[in-house]
Amino acid sequence: MFNMIIAGVGGQGTILASRIFADAAIRTSVTNGDNDMKVRLGETFGAAMRGGAVASHVKIGSDIYSPLIPEDKADVILGLEPLETLRVGLKYIAPGGIVIMNIRKYESIDVKTGQAEYPLISDIVDSFKKLNANVITLDATGIAIKAGTAKAMNVVMLGALAACEKNPIPYKIIKEAIRNRVPPKTVEINFAAFKTGFGEINEKLKKVI
Amino acid sequence: MNVVASNRISEKVLMMGNEAIARGTIEAGVEVVAAYPGTPSSEIIETLIEISNNFNYYVEWSINEKVAFDIAAGASILGARSLVVMKNAGLNVAMDTFMTLPYTGIKGGMVVVVVDDPGAHYSSNEQDTRFAAVYAEIPCLEPANQQEAKEMTKEAFEISEALELPVFLRSVTRLSHASGDVILGEIKKPLKKIGFNKHWKIPYRWNVYGPPGAVSKHRWLHLQMEKFKNIIENSKFNTFTLPINTDIGIIASGLGSSYAAEAISVLGLEGKLTFLKLGFANPLPEGKLKEFLKGLKILIVIEEGGPVIERQVRSFAQETFPEIKIFGKERKQILNPYGELNVDCVAKGISKAVGLQIKENQERINIKREIQKKVSPRSSTLCAGCPHLGTYWAVKKALQDRKGVHIINGDIGCYEQGGYGVFSHKINPTDDDSKDYPISSPYEILDTIYVMGSGIGMAMGQSQAGYKDGKILAVAGDSTFFHATLPAIVNAVYTKADITYLVLDNSWTCMTGHQPNPTTGKNTTGEMTKVIDISKIAEAIGVTCIEIVDPYNIEESVQAIQEAIDFKGPSLVILQRECALQVQRREKHKNPRTFIDRDKCTGCKQCLSLGCPAITFDNENKIAGIDSLLCVDCGLCNQICSFGAIK
Repeated sequence: MFNMIIAGVGGQGTILASRIFADAAIRTSVTNGDNDMKVRLGETFGAAMRGGAVASHVKIGSDIYSPLIPEDKADVILGLEPLETLRVGLKYIAPGGIVIMNIRKYESIDVKTGQAEYPLISDIVDSFKKLNANVITLDATGIAIKAGTAKAMNVVMLGALAACEKNPIPYKIIKEAIRNRVPPKTVEINFAAFKTGFGEINEKLKKVI
Repeated sequence: MNVVASNRISEKVLMMGNEAIARGTIEAGVEVVAAYPGTPSSEIIETLIEISNNFNYYVEWSINEKVAFDIAAGASILGARSLVVMKNAGLNVAMDTFMTLPYTGIKGGMVVVVVDDPGAHYSSNEQDTRFAAVYAEIPCLEPANQQEAKEMTKEAFEISEALELPVFLRSVTRLSHASGDVILGEIKKPLKKIGFNKHWKIPYRWNVYGPPGAVSKHRWLHLQMEKFKNIIENSKFNTFTLPINTDIGIIASGLGSSYAAEAISVLGLEGKLTFLKLGFANPLPEGKLKEFLKGLKILIVIEEGGPVIERQVRSFAQETFPEIKIFGKERKQILNPYGELNVDCVAKGISKAVGLQIKENQERINIKREIQKKVSPRSSTLCAGCPHLGTYWAVKKALQDRKGVHIINGDIGCYEQGGYGVFSHKINPTDDDSKDYPISSPYEILDTIYVMGSGIGMAMGQSQAGYKDGKILAVAGDSTFFHATLPAIVNAVYTKADITYLVLDNSWTCMTGHQPNPTTGKNTTGEMTKVIDISKIAEAIGVTCIEIVDPYNIEESVQAIQEAIDFKGPSLVILQRECALQVQRREKHKNPRTFIDRDKCTGCKQCLSLGCPAITFDNENKIAGIDSLLCVDCGLCNQICSFGAIK
């Protein structure tokens, strides 16, 4: 069983990223002839069209029924925004799980008007360490801008995920799923974003070893 | 091509619950579809609209749920298969026909899909509409996953035609807005065999008053439901695992059964209890139920929403096995009768009922509690360049010059965010009768919010009660204008109520995903049609003070609102400007021209109080900024900066 939550802010492409990954998971099950493998996506979106907190639960495995991941049971948190990564990760990350986090902040109106504080990135990283989780950070937004558009940040994050050992879906199949879900004109930009995200984390992981 | 329209039978694909319901509908050969948008149900119709060219059915966004329901009913009594879709609260609007149609029944299969919202993610309440299916005495199906959502939709048409009754299918947010693997089935061509027979099988079939009258038709409904009880005993959607020597049982339905199955596995109770999964919340398969309850000492009922099944089971068990201890959302309470379920709370509930101790890692809980303090809230906001931002700024300004405790009645739509508040803003309630609170953000401007159209009526009530401490206003959008406010406006003119109604007209039904409506100029499938003029309607009704203004022009908007609120009697201000997101979708995003003159910016944060998400603030250097990815050059912030620092 593989449990992952993609957390972000409305408009960042959280839902699209989860659907790309779920498509890839179904394709993987068909390719492997694994009929028992099921995929579930639990999404909360709509009212949070722009600027609200969005989280998408992704579950892959044979013994799954419900759309939501229990507390402390997420193998991976794919965090598209730091505060949202902490909000969701705190509740769901499993001990020994991995947090992959984009470090670009999207400040809330609460923070901008001085009614609340945005936590320090270093505090967020330390918090996850206290919960026995591993943390990898990257400037996914920066990478996406270099690839051609900030909108491809979610795909950079999928690339980063593909480089992790816990990811059960082959790189190539995720790439195919990207082609099928993104607007046709943006396929090349998204491929570049995916590749760079993968490369960045692959390098970081090598250094750790 | 949209996968929902795919001909690749037996292929496994990823589908949202709402897409699966749409697929089930075309697999059943639907002919007429009507709905009013409402999150989390809208994607069912969005999908059916998108693929409508491939099929031979009629689909429309109706003016409200009542009209949509009547359209589906009208088609069905001719023999056409029809579908009507709405969100939880939408059913309240359609309730009149909903309660009466079952007396005459229908001819072509008619399915009523209602998507509830436990957890109130997108709704003003958590109402469980399965109660309404019980109330209306019609069959109610409750899918547990996306595959079942498709199968049950298809089956619902069959049952409906067999029983000659409308059939209710109840989904929930976590099913409709969740995705899962679905195996595609065969698509059925619509029969297109319609006709009208006034006395079809029963005298005065389509007329509840037709002799011998409503009581006899009510009796007929009961006979039909009795017949159905026999059919339901063998339904593939009611399944149970037979016990290996146990006296503990779980009855679960819909999504509740999915959570229960996972909770059993989390608790390691597989094979240690019996499990009855119900696909129908109404009626219950009593034969099967009796067989299941035999020998049980403990029964746990798990369902998403209120105790619909639990109450029926309690009543049945009292007659059959009164010694069974029943746990659920009432009396022996193991689950809250509010909020939504999840695996964790269901596991806790089950363990409480069976007396199992769940080991909790106290140290981890303490660490989490410490970290939680760092997680600051993220308030919801309107979009950058949203015309409502201009409207709310103008309302605030217009009322600042008029002393008093003004009441601004809200309504349902994007603009309801004017009442969401800023999450981190601490509020200190008082018990004064009238009290003025400063408004620091557009998200604190609305004073009351209930349902569609209720704001105008409430404003009238405040006026007729003799409220004199301040002005009385109400806001509602263009779609809401047609959906639910027309009778209220007639009432206001007729009774000379002294209220001001602000119509926030952005030409689309935006919050539910930008559906067209009578102000758009396009119909459901994108064809050009008449724009229905709100001001002319108001004029015809007899509203004499009507102002039309662009909310991007703050000065003019303030003036128009002030003229309206100073008018004695009902007045109307139409604040007209197309939704900024729709404009952006048509026009390529250009780098914005708006910028902050760093020399002139004093860091006063007045621009932040506009509430636009494109305005940023650098706390270190005490200077405002513009997020170039979000800004659409609407020009609102330029108008409110007192120092001319935004250009």
